Amino acid sequence: MAPDPAALADAGLAATWFGATLPPDVRERLAMLARRERYGPGDVLLREGEPADDLGIVLVGRIALRLRVPERGSVTILTVEPGDLVGWSAIVPPHRSTSSAIALVPSEVLTFAGEPLRAALDADPVLAAAVYPRVLRAVARRLDATRLQLLDLFTAPGAEPW
Amino acid sequence: MIAAAPPPVSEVRFLPRADLDRLIDALADDGRTVIGPTVADGAIVLDEVRSVADLPVGWAAESKPGGYRLSRRSDARAFDHAVGPTSWKRWTFPPRAPMASRVEAAQSLAFLGVRACEIAALLTQDRVLQGGPAVDADYRVRRASALVVAVECATALETCFCTSMGTGPEVTSGYDIALTELDDGFVVRAGSPAGEAIVGRLDLPQANVGQRVAAADTLRRTRERIGNPVPTEGLAARIVAAAESPRWAEIAERCLACANCTLVCPTCFCTSVGTKSDLDGGNATSERTWDSCFTFDFARVAGGNFRPRTRDRYRQWLTHKFGTWWDHFGSSGCVGCGRCIAWCPVGIDIRAELMAVAPPPLSETVLVASVAPAPSTAPDPSTALDPSAAPAPSAFPASETLPERYVDVVVTSTRRETADTVSLRLATDDPALLACRPGQFVMVARPAFATPPISVSRVHQDGLTLTIRAAGPATTALTRLERGAVMSVRGPLGRGWPVEAAVGRDVVVVTGGIGLAPLRPLLDAFLAERERFGRIRLAYGARTPADRLFVDELDALARDGRIEVESTVDRAGQEWLGRVGVVTQLIDADACSGRESVAFVCGPERMMAATADVLAECGIPPERVFVTLERHMECGVGLCGHCQLGRFFVCRDGPVFSLAELGPALRVEGL
Amino acid sequence: MVDVAARSPARPAAVHRPRVGVVKFASCDGCQLTLLDLEDELLAVTERFEIVEFAEATSNRSSGPFDVLFVEGSISTPEQAEEIVHLREASTLLVTIGACATAGGIQALRNLGDHDAFRAAVYPHPEYVSSLATSLPVSEYVKVDAELRGCPIDPGQLLEVLTALATGRRPQLPNEAVCLECKRRGAVCVVVAKGLPCLGPVTRTGCGALCPAFGRGCYGCFGPRESANAAGLASHYLRAGDRAEEVGRRFAGFTVNQEPFRSVVVAMDRLHGAHGTREGDAR
Repeated sequence: MAPDPAALADAGLAATWFGATLPPDVRERLAMLARRERYGPGDVLLREGEPADDLGIVLVGRIALRLRVPERGSVTILTVEPGDLVGWSAIVPPHRSTSSAIALVPSEVLTFAGEPLRAALDADPVLAAAVYPRVLRAVARRLDATRLQLLDLFTAPGAEPW
Repeated sequence: MIAAAPPPVSEVRFLPRADLDRLIDALADDGRTVIGPTVADGAIVLDEVRSVADLPVGWAAESKPGGYRLSRRSDARAFDHAVGPTSWKRWTFPPRAPMASRVEAAQSLAFLGVRACEIAALLTQDRVLQGGPAVDADYRVRRASALVVAVECATALETCFCTSMGTGPEVTSGYDIALTELDDGFVVRAGSPAGEAIVGRLDLPQANVGQRVAAADTLRRTRERIGNPVPTEGLAARIVAAAESPRWAEIAERCLACANCTLVCPTCFCTSVGTKSDLDGGNATSERTWDSCFTFDFARVAGGNFRPRTRDRYRQWLTHKFGTWWDHFGSSGCVGCGRCIAWCPVGIDIRAELMAVAPPPLSETVLVASVAPAPSTAPDPSTALDPSAAPAPSAFPASETLPERYVDVVVTSTRRETADTVSLRLATDDPALLACRPGQFVMVARPAFATPPISVSRVHQDGLTLTIRAAGPATTALTRLERGAVMSVRGPLGRGWPVEAAVGRDVVVVTGGIGLAPLRPLLDAFLAERERFGRIRLAYGARTPADRLFVDELDALARDGRIEVESTVDRAGQEWLGRVGVVTQLIDADACSGRESVAFVCGPERMMAATADVLAECGIPPERVFVTLERHMECGVGLCGHCQLGRFFVCRDGPVFSLAELGPALRVEGL
Repeated sequence: MVDVAARSPARPAAVHRPRVGVVKFASCDGCQLTLLDLEDELLAVTERFEIVEFAEATSNRSSGPFDVLFVEGSISTPEQAEEIVHLREASTLLVTIGACATAGGIQALRNLGDHDAFRAAVYPHPEYVSSLATSLPVSEYVKVDAELRGCPIDPGQLLEVLTALATGRRPQLPNEAVCLECKRRGAVCVVVAKGLPCLGPVTRTGCGALCPAFGRGCYGCFGPRESANAAGLASHYLRAGDRAEEVGRRFAGFTVNQEPFRSVVVAMDRLHGAHGTREGDAR
């Protein structure tokens, strides 16, 4: 007998830092909006610049975020590991993906469809009060990490000739 | 050379003024060149003296912050001018000295006219240059070849403050002969067998009561005249704590960072090494020259400068002199001679600056104007070595032997690790090098090039591997060496990783870029006795996949499984399937859960700071987080002064430190 | 006749002799002369380097390519501004020598004044004179790989640069104040002991503290060192009672174009009230 998708989603959610501290009923309501999606290596979740419809929490595997740099091709600027968010543009205007997201290895992502999620958050203040702070925290951590990446600390200054 | 107590009354003699030449002749007869005060270019300058005629007879000096003048006196006194811009350091620790493998015998000298503060300075430099595990052999020979004929000060310059520093004006120790000038002659004491021998030959009468009383009065008047301008109680702690005082920036507006203060200072000892050679690099020689923490190059490393601003440099100087000198050498670095005040071109007065930056608590200000008490006859505590003031011994493995000599080693193979990094495998049978511990480093010398410190990235039965990044001409030349090349290596140096601190605990190793090099021997040590340690995780970050070191070994290690390896890069192309992101993200609560963990971190300081924050969040206390620091190093043994960080010499007390002992040192900008 | 082979260390014949050029713009020639003044080492230098262009010393001419090009003189005319760009393209390493090339020279005083007025005052037909309003260091026009400062440069430093080029090591050209050299050689400070004005504390060393050793103050011909607190020194002189006009003149010398000397000159000018000086003043 196939397990109930909502129950699967709930179990997946409960195992992440995002969902672990949610009150069970809030978590269940959230899980109802989610499905577990599987991706193989090379599968594309999001394309840079295109409408972002899905918010995801990575459960298994690794998703690469890539930006297109014309002279350099596609540069991976971050990989999203289990527990991290991908595609928060789904709930942040203008709902357009800021980077491409590609699965590097077999991955599984707890995926929330953008429109129903946005509608549910608008309609349910309790849900919104649980979701937005957690998304904010994820974004803040990513910003912190990005700042360190920006400092390019491991760059050796070119050998000084003199 | 040090007299423990004043000589008994019968040993105090009197030399009539007319006979001063007999003393000078006696010193010369002893085979010594006499160095003493002379008048030149408007100042009292130390130079060779052949007779009384060369002395500043009938000259007086006055000084103020930024000013110094000579004037004529109406009498024939010869020593009433306190100190001039030169100090005896010119002969014991010359401005330029060739660095040869063999130290030449030094000229036999007699220093005539050494003040009490200057004796304190000589004793202070003794502790710095020959009191620690590394000895400056050239200094030792020169110091031993100089006879000290002291003169007690009958006058004081307005800039003198020996009383506050406990170094004078009375001469109580450290002399061979001591003179106190009276109007008609000198009260003479001998303070050592050598001094006694010379005084004995002069066959002088005993000093009578009147003369002895006059001598004591002279000192009393001098002491009263100086007063106690700088209350020093608790000063060391206060000035170290004043690192963030806004006063430093204010001083920097006036300070020219011209280094004059450090160069007239009789205790400053920082030097740098220069190389000379002929056009083809042949006949290469090295020379040690006076340097100063105020110069641009002092704290410079490839790609940066740890003390770029004048305010940081001034703070370093004053804090070292009055504060961290105690940690390094067990005494104050200042002897109160006041030269830095007089010879500062813009007249910055450290007495006033100390009071502004590190003012004593209110209740003490009452004492400022009072006269400092006369010293006891016991050795002066402020100049005595205080073992409890040295950094406490810890579980860190230190080098028991500190080799000063260079060992020739042969390159047996080379391996390019990344675009700018090469590993050199060296063969040697030198037991000291083969005993190198994880985290130690060596100084690598090649003729006509600068001598950089290089991490040892592996120790073998028959040699070492060094991993070198091409950051400047010297290191670039090393990365181009081929099999069979010979180079000279000195070491192992520094305090390494405390492997024992990890026994029975979980371990987190966090590093980035070339930082993996000094950590590889630590990983080797863990693997050699794997069962003694708990879970071991390595988090390794690099700029791009191509910038990772030891890639094959890392892959093998990951497959081996005894150490969990996680890599990440800052950015990557499409072929990289691993993590992309900062290395701190690899550390999470999971890494630090379970048994108490220990962390070893190596990388750029900003990365180590960010890592330290994450480790703290995970609950690993600063006593169990160990980092390794990089600073400008020239000697590698704590003698040249360049690598100072607060109370540490990074080369000798580090380069490995626990975060707990570093305290705020990593967070204060420009320390 | 000196046995050249005996004097050269054994060396494989294939060692490359770098092609060296020495050229000149607006300058007095003194810095180039310093190379010829290296009497004891000149033979070794000419063996180690191939001097392909050096108008003052040899009739061999070359317009490149150069492994090392020594450039004396500031850029003062439109033609020079173009030529330096061509020379830069023809050179692997470009080393400027002297206060003119590294700082604009004393002729940079015109940068603070009215160039047209000067020309009109001196020449009956100023329209025939083609010159730039500024005299600027070479580094303002092209990338410079190393600088030898001084007026003239110090022969020891020149030799150090040549040795660094020949051996591959970094040339040791300390960026520190003249004061360090004064103190190392035991010279008594003329500021403290005689109250003479001296720019030593803010000037880069390299000369071995030549002028103070003869009892006069440094006049800054090696240019400002790093972190030079020229404003602080100027303030000190003013507090000591010197007039702003005098203080400004001290900094308005061979390296006047370089900051922070230039700002001090401008500030002292303002303080002084600038009566009848710059506009139309073409002494």
